[in-house]
Amino acid sequence: MTGNLPMRLGTAACLAVSGYVHAELYVHGYRVIPFVGPAFLVQAGGSFAIAVLLALGGPVLLRLAAAGLALGALGGFAVSRTVGLFGFTEHGLQPAPEALVSLLAEAAVLVLLGVSHLLARRRRETPGAVA
Amino acid sequence: MTKILGTTALLIAVALGLTACGAPRAAAPATAPPASMPGMSGMTASPPGQAAAPATPGVVSIKDFAFAPGDVTVKAGTTVTWRNEDQDPHTVTSTGNGGPLRSPTLNKGETYRYVFAAPGRYEYLCTIHPFMTATVTVTP
Amino acid sequence: MTAREGAADEPGPEGMTRRQLLRHTAWFGAAVVLTVAGGEVVSHIAGPSGAAADDDPHALRFVQISDSHLGFKGSANTAVEESFSHALGQINALPYRPAFVMHTGDLTHLATPAQFDQVRQMMSGLRTGQVLTVPGEHDSIDDTGQKYREVFGAGTAGDGWYSFDVQGVHFISLVNTLSLEKLGHLGNDQLEFVRKDVAKLPADTPIVVFSHIPLFAMYPAWGWGTDDATQALSYLRRFSSVTCLNGHVHQLFTKTEGNVTFHSATTTAYPLPQPGTRPAPTPVTLPAGKLGEARGIREVAYRPGNPGLAVKDVRLA
Repeated sequence: MTGNLPMRLGTAACLAVSGYVHAELYVHGYRVIPFVGPAFLVQAGGSFAIAVLLALGGPVLLRLAAAGLALGALGGFAVSRTVGLFGFTEHGLQPAPEALVSLLAEAAVLVLLGVSHLLARRRRETPGAVA
Repeated sequence: MTKILGTTALLIAVALGLTACGAPRAAAPATAPPASMPGMSGMTASPPGQAAAPATPGVVSIKDFAFAPGDVTVKAGTTVTWRNEDQDPHTVTSTGNGGPLRSPTLNKGETYRYVFAAPGRYEYLCTIHPFMTATVTVTP
Repeated sequence: MTAREGAADEPGPEGMTRRQLLRHTAWFGAAVVLTVAGGEVVSHIAGPSGAAADDDPHALRFVQISDSHLGFKGSANTAVEESFSHALGQINALPYRPAFVMHTGDLTHLATPAQFDQVRQMMSGLRTGQVLTVPGEHDSIDDTGQKYREVFGAGTAGDGWYSFDVQGVHFISLVNTLSLEKLGHLGNDQLEFVRKDVAKLPADTPIVVFSHIPLFAMYPAWGWGTDDATQALSYLRRFSSVTCLNGHVHQLFTKTEGNVTFHSATTTAYPLPQPGTRPAPTPVTLPAGKLGEARGIREVAYRPGNPGLAVKDVRLA
C-alpha cells in the first residue's frame, strides 16, 4: 500500500497548495464571512494535516479524505458562483489568482488520486503480483 | 467494497461534523432569519397582488419595500397617487437631479399625488431605501 | 478490492482485524490532531494583530460605529436609541481612549431635526478626542444633506467631505449618498478633491477612507456599491496601504483588491439580510437573544512602522 512515491508526494503538495490558498484567504478577510470563514479554516487545517500524513504514506482512508477535501472545496466554489453558499456569492475567477490556483490544485489532487488508484488496481490484478 | 463504502461514509460524517462544530455561532444568524420575516410571503406574492388590484390605474401602492406596480403607463394629464402601506416611511423622488417627483416623507397610510402633464418616462426611487426603484411612462 | 490486501491479518467477522483498526485509528487521530493544530496556527496568524496593538502605547487607535438609525420603529429593533446608547457605553468602557470615534452614516432614520439633535447629544458623551461622521442616505432623505451639514458639517468642504491626519495616517471622509440614485455616487467635485488631497503624499503614507455606502461592489443589485468609486481608488493605487471602512450594509464583510482592503461594518440598530438571500434588503427580525450577535462596534489600531491597520470587530455586549 506504499503506492507510487512521486505520485503520493505530488498529491500531498497539491493538497497543501489548496490548504495554503484557503488559509491565506482566511487571514485576509474571509474569516468574517459567516459559515464560509470557519469552513475555510477547517479546509486549510484539514488540507495541511492530510498532506503531511499522505507524504508519510497513509492508508487508503487518507486518500479518501484528500479526495473529500478537494471535492468539498470545488463544490463550495461551484455553489458560491451559482446559488450562493449560505448567502455568500462571488463571481468568476475572483479573487485572482487565488481562485484559479486553488481550482487547479484541487483538480490535480483528484486526478493524481484517481490515477494512482487505477495503477494500484492494475498492479494487483496482474497475476504475478498476487502472492 | 462494502468496507470502503463504510469507511467513506464514516469519514464524510466526521468531516461534516467537524465543519459543523467549527461554525455553530456563525451559522446561527444565517439560518435564523427565515423563521421570522412576516413581510416575506407578501413580497414573493406581489405579482399576484398586482393582478388582484388592477381596478384603479394611476394608483401605486408602496408595500413590502417595493412600488407596486413597478412600471405604470398612463395618458398625459393623469394623476398618479402613491400610498404607503408599509410600517416604515418611504418617499417618492425622481432619480437624479431635476426630476418633478419630490414627495415628503410618507408615513404609513399617507399619500402623494402628481399630475403628469408632459409625456415621457419618469424614473423614481425612495430616498430612504434607494434600492426601491420604479418608473412611470406617460403617453400622449 | 483494496481491502483485500490486509487478508494476511485474518479479517474478523466485521471485516477488519484489530491491528488494522488500531492502525486506522492512529492515522485518523493524527489527522484530527494535525487539523486542529493547523487551524489554530492559521487563526492565530489572522487574529493577534488587534490584541497586540492594545499593549502598544504608541499605537493609533480609533473606533468606528455605524447605522444607528435613531428614530427607526419596527420589530427588527424596538429600541434603537437604547442600542446606540449601549454601543456608546461600550466605547467608553474600552481600556484606552480612542483618538476619535467615526460614525459612518445613517445616524438618523428619517433626518428630522429632532433625530439629529438626539444623535449629536448622545455622541457628545463619548470619551474620545473627537467625534466624526459621514452622512448616510437616511441622513439626507429630502434636502440633499442640508440638515445633516447644519449639525455635523463644520469644517467640511463641498457636500460634507474632508480629510485629516493623525499620527502619520491620512484619513479621507467621503460623501456618496446624495445623488438620488440606486448606487452610491461621489461626483466630479469630490473625485477632484480626492485627487488633489493625496497628490503630494508619499506613497508609504497609510490611507484610510471612510464612506457610508461601500466603495466596492458588494451587491450592486441592492445598491451596495458606488458607481464612480474606481476613479477615486485609482488615485490611491500608488499607496502601499489603503483601508476603506464603510457602513450601510449592516453586516461584516471584508475584501481585498490589490493594495486596498475594504471592511463593511455592522450596525448598532438592526441587521439586514446577506446579499441575495431575500428579495430586498429589508430589516431582519431575529429571534429574541440573537440581535446582539448581529450588531457591534469596530476597533481599529495602527502601529507606526506596520504596513496596515488592525481591524477588530466586537459584538454589542
